[in-house]
Amino acid sequence: MKRNNGNIDRRFDRLRPWAFRAAFLLPALLVYAVILLIPIVDSMRLSLYSGSGLVPTNFVGLANYIKIFTEESFSTHVWGAFRNNVVFFLIVTLIQNVLGFFLALAVTRAVKGAAFFRKVSFLPTTLSVLVVGFLFRQMLNPIWGLLGNYPWLGNEATALPALAVAVSWQFIGESILLYAVGIDGIPSEHLEAARIDGATWFQETRHIVLPALMPIVGMVTLLIFVGDFTQFDIVYSMTTTMANPRYTTDLFGSLFYRAAFSTPVRGGWGMGMGAAVSTIMVFVVSLGVGIWYYAFKGSRKGEV
Amino acid sequence: MKRFLKAQAMRVIALSFVAVVMAVGFASCAKKAPPVKTVTLNLTSWRTEDIERMNRVNALFTASHPNIIINFQPVNDTEYDANMRAGLETDTGADIVWLRSYDTGRTAYDGGWLYDLTKVIPDLDKFSPAAVKAWTAADGVTYGVPSVGVTHGVYYQKAIFEKYGLKEPATWDEFLAVCETLKKGGENVFAQGALDDWTLYEVVFSGLGANFYGGEAARQDLMAGKAKLTDPNFVAAFKAVDSLQKYLPKGYEGLDYVSMQQMFGSGQAAMFMGGSWEIGVFEDLGSDSSKIGWFAPPVAKAGDKLQYCFHVDAGVGLNKKSKNLDAAIEYIKWVAGAEYAQAIMNELPGFFLYNPVKVTLSNPLAQKMFDAAATADNTVRTVWEKLSAQSPSGNSLMGVALPGMMVDKYTPEQAAAYVQDQLASWYPPFKK
Repeated sequence: MKRNNGNIDRRFDRLRPWAFRAAFLLPALLVYAVILLIPIVDSMRLSLYSGSGLVPTNFVGLANYIKIFTEESFSTHVWGAFRNNVVFFLIVTLIQNVLGFFLALAVTRAVKGAAFFRKVSFLPTTLSVLVVGFLFRQMLNPIWGLLGNYPWLGNEATALPALAVAVSWQFIGESILLYAVGIDGIPSEHLEAARIDGATWFQETRHIVLPALMPIVGMVTLLIFVGDFTQFDIVYSMTTTMANPRYTTDLFGSLFYRAAFSTPVRGGWGMGMGAAVSTIMVFVVSLGVGIWYYAFKGSRKGEV
Repeated sequence: MKRFLKAQAMRVIALSFVAVVMAVGFASCAKKAPPVKTVTLNLTSWRTEDIERMNRVNALFTASHPNIIINFQPVNDTEYDANMRAGLETDTGADIVWLRSYDTGRTAYDGGWLYDLTKVIPDLDKFSPAAVKAWTAADGVTYGVPSVGVTHGVYYQKAIFEKYGLKEPATWDEFLAVCETLKKGGENVFAQGALDDWTLYEVVFSGLGANFYGGEAARQDLMAGKAKLTDPNFVAAFKAVDSLQKYLPKGYEGLDYVSMQQMFGSGQAAMFMGGSWEIGVFEDLGSDSSKIGWFAPPVAKAGDKLQYCFHVDAGVGLNKKSKNLDAAIEYIKWVAGAEYAQAIMNELPGFFLYNPVKVTLSNPLAQKMFDAAATADNTVRTVWEKLSAQSPSGNSLMGVALPGMMVDKYTPEQAAAYVQDQLASWYPPFKK
């Protein structure tokens, strides 16, 4: 941007004072601050308080965090949610990236029905997560489900993967869409040249298509990462806020919800502790995005 | 454009003028008629299933109090407590709120949002003292009318029992014999799962286990720190629940609560360990009292007295800051009286009112559940009072231990120890 329009930019700088730019930015910044920034900072503030009720009032410093990381009955839940979130993210990433990539390859070929499939693949994305969760729960029901008597959602080993598959099924359309757009953007001369040189389908995919799509792989992975580490709806709809069985499908989103909004009877920890969990969540997501930023720096540069 | 706007403005002014004149006119008319001011009271509970039934009950109140309309706005069970608290805290809450028993309801009183009912309800001393205690604070203030109690026991499909010539079992051995016969016959013995965290604890352990651990006396000892969940009587209760594992349907590990109800209600299993509140649910699924029967939790040994879990479920409280406090007090007095009790018991069979009045039960299942209490030692759910006041709560720990035991993750001894040890992290009498 800057490189191409440098001259115009500089002229603008001379003509208009910086305040002019700020004035344009202000409304958006204000909206962003009021509905996003201030609540996040306020929830961080709340994490330093304890007490019952919606707005805890006893200032306790870092006691909530100390409790979370040192008392076993709390730390097991936080680490459990973290571990589950990582597993969940890995499964979803694998399905959405790998399967999404190959399906995108398929829909961009001049095969009969490709255009139709390309459109249909995006349909689940338009559904509500709650609907998808309910649908999968019915399909996996051990008494009248489609997949026999096996307790998919009752077994520790299969419950979390089942949730990951449900989410992947819903959002794979996004991956296909993004990858297909990327593939469409590859100049056909490159592929033609490769074919003339006698490249196989595999070589073509490996050396031309995949490198061209790397920035999109990064973007899709980032979207999945942020989506999964803040995921709540699928747990809520498939295994309830108690993350059945026995918290083995607990993700940060469901842990936060339960901790903050439930009574102790139902596993709640109080609003201050809940705010602490959400602050940890913000930290983990920010860290992940930061790592992504450095990991894919190279490929994004390559794009320019 | 400008002229158009001007005309528009004139029109608005003219219309407003007409509206004001009309309003004044109507107001002066109203003065002549007797002053009838209709008040709408908002009522909230966690019973979203009962909107129509509750509206019919409340219509009786409006019939005798024509100026007061009750607007029933229930909230989904799992969100109710957070929602109610948020409402009270931000002055947007309902005028009348249903309260959970013991500590959960008490937090609303401790927050300073509930009206002192001690002097408002005249017959409060005639209610069962144990029920009043569930909505009374340490300072002696009663903030909720003890309203609804529920009981736990075993439902069965009469047709399946008749097919095998089975009788309602009275003892645990008879109960297991019934299970064995049904299993050999190839029936689904129980429509029971281990997925939802609370059913095994609230219904099966508290309901059927009480006969093994010794009911109310044992529960009081536990709260006082004189007994532990790892004591032989409590472990015996864990073992009794565990002994039913082999009679659960295939895939029970993944069977959720609603599916359990549907499985039994549609006649796909012989028995269901459930709560009295499920009478209506099964009726809606086609299993009314002509098709299903009910028996009380079987006693451990012949001759034992039934330890019956008659759980204090719901109280009714008053929002201190209600804008229509007088009307709300009228309503809550009515809630504590005879008409309300009879109406609720007609509309919601299986919900037993604590009101000290005579009522008749029209549903034979409800009648049987109610009668069982007359000759039994009554108690409430095992770790509900005090032991669930803080996190990790006894209730949520039981929700891990019992499903874990049913999928062989824990032995009965380990399950008991898990709950006991975690409670010892905060419950003062267990700490020492």
